[in-house]
Amino acid sequence: MRATVWSGRNTVQVENVPDPKILNDRDAIVRITSTAICGSDLHLYDGYIPTVKRGDILGHEFMGEVVETGRGVSNLQVGDRVVVPFPIACGNCWSCEHELYSVCENSNPNAGLAEKTFGHPTCGIFGYSHLTGGYAGGQAEYARVPFADVGPIKVEDDLTDEQVLFLSDIFPTGYMGAEFCDIGGGEVIAVFGAGPVGQFAIASAVLLGAERVIAIDGYDYRLQMALNKAGATDAINFNEDPDIVEQLKDLTGGRGPDAVIDAVGMEAAHGHGALHTVERVKQATRSESDRGHALRDAILACRPGGIVSVIGVYGGLIDKFPSGAFMNKGLTLKAGQCHVQRYTRPLYERIRKGEIDPSFVVTHRLELGMAPDGYETFKHKQDECVKVVLNP
Amino acid sequence: MRRRKPVDATLHGVVDYNAGALLLTAFPRLAGIEGTRSAKQVRTAAAVHAGYSTLTDYPLGMVKLIPFKAHLAIDALGAAALAATPFVTGQFKQGTRQWLPHVGLALFELMSLAITDPTGRGDYHGDVEAVRRANREDPHRKIHDGSRAVAVST
Repeated sequence: MRATVWSGRNTVQVENVPDPKILNDRDAIVRITSTAICGSDLHLYDGYIPTVKRGDILGHEFMGEVVETGRGVSNLQVGDRVVVPFPIACGNCWSCEHELYSVCENSNPNAGLAEKTFGHPTCGIFGYSHLTGGYAGGQAEYARVPFADVGPIKVEDDLTDEQVLFLSDIFPTGYMGAEFCDIGGGEVIAVFGAGPVGQFAIASAVLLGAERVIAIDGYDYRLQMALNKAGATDAINFNEDPDIVEQLKDLTGGRGPDAVIDAVGMEAAHGHGALHTVERVKQATRSESDRGHALRDAILACRPGGIVSVIGVYGGLIDKFPSGAFMNKGLTLKAGQCHVQRYTRPLYERIRKGEIDPSFVVTHRLELGMAPDGYETFKHKQDECVKVVLNP
Repeated sequence: MRRRKPVDATLHGVVDYNAGALLLTAFPRLAGIEGTRSAKQVRTAAAVHAGYSTLTDYPLGMVKLIPFKAHLAIDALGAAALAATPFVTGQFKQGTRQWLPHVGLALFELMSLAITDPTGRGDYHGDVEAVRRANREDPHRKIHDGSRAVAVST
């Protein structure tokens, strides 16, 4: 089969690789019909995630048709159309029983490595380095889905791939970020990053009843999508004025947003001039793993007693964490890789009822063979790119 | 697949700053030229190099005034000037240490240029026209036209 493989920093290639096989009774093989490039794939592409190896198949957002099942998979039949959540979860451990699927204790065969890095093991993830299990990803023609009796959600309606594909990651991730904000109606929510996850965080905050949602990004076309499609009420372009904290205060009567969502993560880039350059150099020379502008500003901008919700991916350590602001303002920090399986069914129902059409983020639909150009176009925000879907 | 040079603009910038720091500090002593005209020449070259690096339009530039390709051209001219300096001044007659560091650094610079990808902002390797032709969506329309994709909570 053809698959998108990591071939070194800033290089992916579409190569012929062996087809996946059932290895476990709880496996299924899925013939992939649609798959997407995620913002977090760019962290692998840029070489910031350790333990990715040449030849690793990338991709953790995918859906398709079941073509084979193991003997232990009774909930799926050959021919079923499924969306596959990116966290691989066993469904039986303490974490899974508490719906904390992204910290499943059994799905990561390299749990020891994750434990050394994070203090505790984290789940396996498709196509996301050997730190998360070394599983082959879904930017391919076929994928092996472990614990297929737990993760995949069947699509039984006449919805298009683009309407349901993002149940695999970015819609639940954005939704969880908004849910962290304890929106009861009437709040002001600021969302750092108007990339695909940020768009869904904005849309989810709107769905949950936020009164104002402020989108923050450095690209006007992404802010336009946030305003026109996702439901943002205000937009800040930090390339026009890099003092985001002050602008957020101006927009909120000096108080600051009730909650701030960081949908940016470890490769934050905004107009802090010299500081940004220093952080780029430190990250490039591996003396700091994560750039922390967005998280720092989120903490500084959030109103006292507010919530900072972190759904952008961080991998290691950031310098100059504003612990004083965090502590003295009495902020609550909530974070996590999304427990996707917790959200797939309710969000699927929202799509079915027409409350949201997630296909709004898709700006590029390409054949799988175009993956290398797709990665570059997405990374460099060329051609008004927000989200790339690949069709094998 | 297109073959491309392995050093992108970011990595080139990392080398610029690290090499600049080394040449300004420890290099003259390590090369045994501390206190000589050669040390001053090497330090001057390093300072100039670091200076225009900060003004280059690449990811590690602070004020993005100089296009990346122009930066590479300045690198090449600077390497040639550095290599020529001891022969122009005549200091090469004072021994190997008064010209070999200059020539060695110039060769390092030229080798670095030979493996640096000079495209655009330095690190966009895609074919945006091919993407536009192959894309089955219209990004501009998706962003700017049509109605909101999410219902307001009631």
